[in-house]
Amino acid sequence: MTTSPDDDRLEQLVDLIVRLAAGDLSARLQPSEAADSVDAVITGINLLADELDHIYRTLEDRVAERTFALDQARVELERLALNDSLTGLANRTLLGDRIRQAMARADRGARPPSVLVLDLDEFKTINDGLGHSAGDQILVEVARRITGVVRETDTVARLGGDEFAILMPDAVEDDALRVAERALKELQSPLTVGERAVWAGASIGLCFGLRGQSADNLLRDADTAMYAAKANGRGNIQVFRPEMHHAARQRLQVASELGPAIANRELQLHYQPIVELDSGRMVGAEALVRWAHPERGLLLPREFMTVAEDSGHIIELGHWVLQEGISQLRDWLELISQPFQLHINLSPVEVRWPGLASFVRETLHERAVAPDRLALEISETGLMTGDVAGLEALTELRALGVGIEVDDF
Amino acid sequence: MSQPAESSEYESLTINDEGLLLLVWPRGAKITGPSARRAFDEVNRICGAVRRPMLVDMATTKSVAREARAVFGEPSAASRIALLGRSPVDRVIANFTLGVSTVPCPTKFFTKRDEAMAFLREGTGDHIS
Repeated sequence: MTTSPDDDRLEQLVDLIVRLAAGDLSARLQPSEAADSVDAVITGINLLADELDHIYRTLEDRVAERTFALDQARVELERLALNDSLTGLANRTLLGDRIRQAMARADRGARPPSVLVLDLDEFKTINDGLGHSAGDQILVEVARRITGVVRETDTVARLGGDEFAILMPDAVEDDALRVAERALKELQSPLTVGERAVWAGASIGLCFGLRGQSADNLLRDADTAMYAAKANGRGNIQVFRPEMHHAARQRLQVASELGPAIANRELQLHYQPIVELDSGRMVGAEALVRWAHPERGLLLPREFMTVAEDSGHIIELGHWVLQEGISQLRDWLELISQPFQLHINLSPVEVRWPGLASFVRETLHERAVAPDRLALEISETGLMTGDVAGLEALTELRALGVGIEVDDF
Repeated sequence: MSQPAESSEYESLTINDEGLLLLVWPRGAKITGPSARRAFDEVNRICGAVRRPMLVDMATTKSVAREARAVFGEPSAASRIALLGRSPVDRVIANFTLGVSTVPCPTKFFTKRDEAMAFLREGTGDHIS
C-alpha cells in the first residue's frame, strides 16, 4: 500500500479511525476516484462503521425496550402488591400506609382521619347459594357502590372476604357519618346477579381518629365498632366507643366457650306454651334456648346467638336444640292425645346448611315422631336474600310434612 | 468526510440470448436501499415465474448502503448471482455484501467477466419455471 507524497488519504484514514474510536460512529471517509487498495481499506472501514453503528443503535433500542418493559412490570407488581385483584381497590397494606400518612399529616395540624369498616351481612348466603362467581360479582358491585359515595381524597379498600374499609383523611365527624349513611343506603338496595335480585346489607363501624393514635389501633377500633353493629342487629352504623372493646372481648370469650358448653350440656331448652285463644286449650309449645353459664348465670339467646352464627357453632347448637326438643316432644306425645305441635326457631345460617332437611327427617324418624308435630320458624329477614339453598331446604321440609312458619317482624 | 445520501439508479437490466439477466450499475454508483429495491423489483417483474442466473456489473461502485445489502439478501427471481467488479474497492464492497447478508442463492465476486459468465452458465440448470 503506497501513496504519493501529496496523497494524504492515509492521514485522513487515521483521523477517521480516531473519530470512530472516540465514539463518533457517524464518521465516514469518501474514497477517491483511484479505487486502489487505500480506497478499499477506506471503504471497508466505512462499511464496518456502518455495521457497528447499526448494532449499537439496535442494542440501544433493545435496552430502551427492556427498560420500559421492566418499568411496566415494576408498576404492575406494585399494583398487584397494593391492590385487591378482584375489585381493584386498595388492599390492607396500602390502606395501612395511607392511614399512617393521614396520621402524619394530622400530627402537622390537619384533622385526624376517620376510618369506616363495612362488612356485608348476607354475603355468605349469596356465596353459598348462588356460587363463588355470583359472590365475586357482588363484591365488585359493592366496591363500585362504596367508591361512588366517598370523596376524591378518600381511600376505599377491601380488607379481605366481604370486609371493606374507607379511610377519610382530614375528615370532620359529620362528613364521615354522612359517608357511612350513604354507604349503608347504597348497600341496602338490591344487587343484581344475572336475573336475580339479592340483598347483601352491611354493618358499619366508624372510628374518628385521635392524634397520636396508631394506624393499627384506628383500624382495629373501626373493626370493633363494626362488630358492635353486627351484634346490634346488623344493617346499622356504630361509632366506636372504648367500652366496645369489652363487648368484643366478651364475644371472643363466648365464641371460645360455646363449643365446650354444648358438649357439657350447659344449654337448656325452656318451653313456652302456645294457647288457642278461643278455647284456652294448649295446642303446642315454643322451645327457647338458654345457656346456663357457670359464671354468668342464665344467658338469653341474644347474648350468644350472633356469636354462634359468626363462629359457625350455630349448626352444632341447632342440632342440639332439634334433638333435645324432639326428644321432649316424643315424651309429651306419649302423655297427651290432643293435637300438639312443638315450635323451634331456626337461624338463617342453619336453614342454608345443606344437611338440614335430612337431619330433621332422621331425628324425627329415630324418635318416632310424626313430622306434622314439628313446626320450624324462621325470621322473614332470613329469607330476604335470594337464598336458593335455604328455600330448597324449607320446601323439602314442607314436603316431609313439617310445619314451616315465617316470623313477620 | 461523511458519505452523501444521494442515490444512483441502475443503468440497465436485460436478458441476453442465453437467457441470463444482466444488471448494470453506472460508474461510481452509490446504491441505497430504495434504488436496490427498484432494481430487484424490476428483476422480478421481467423474469415472471422463471428464475434466471444474473450478472451484476458493479464495477467502480462507490458505496452500498446497509439497507441495500438487506435487499440483496432477499429471495428473488435470480437463481445465482455473479458480482462483477474491477478494483480492490469493488472487492471489499462485494465481499461485505456476501459476508454480512445471508445470500438466498449461490453468489460470488469476480473481476473477470469470462469467469463470471462461466459461473452463471453452470447454473442454467437452476431454472425453475
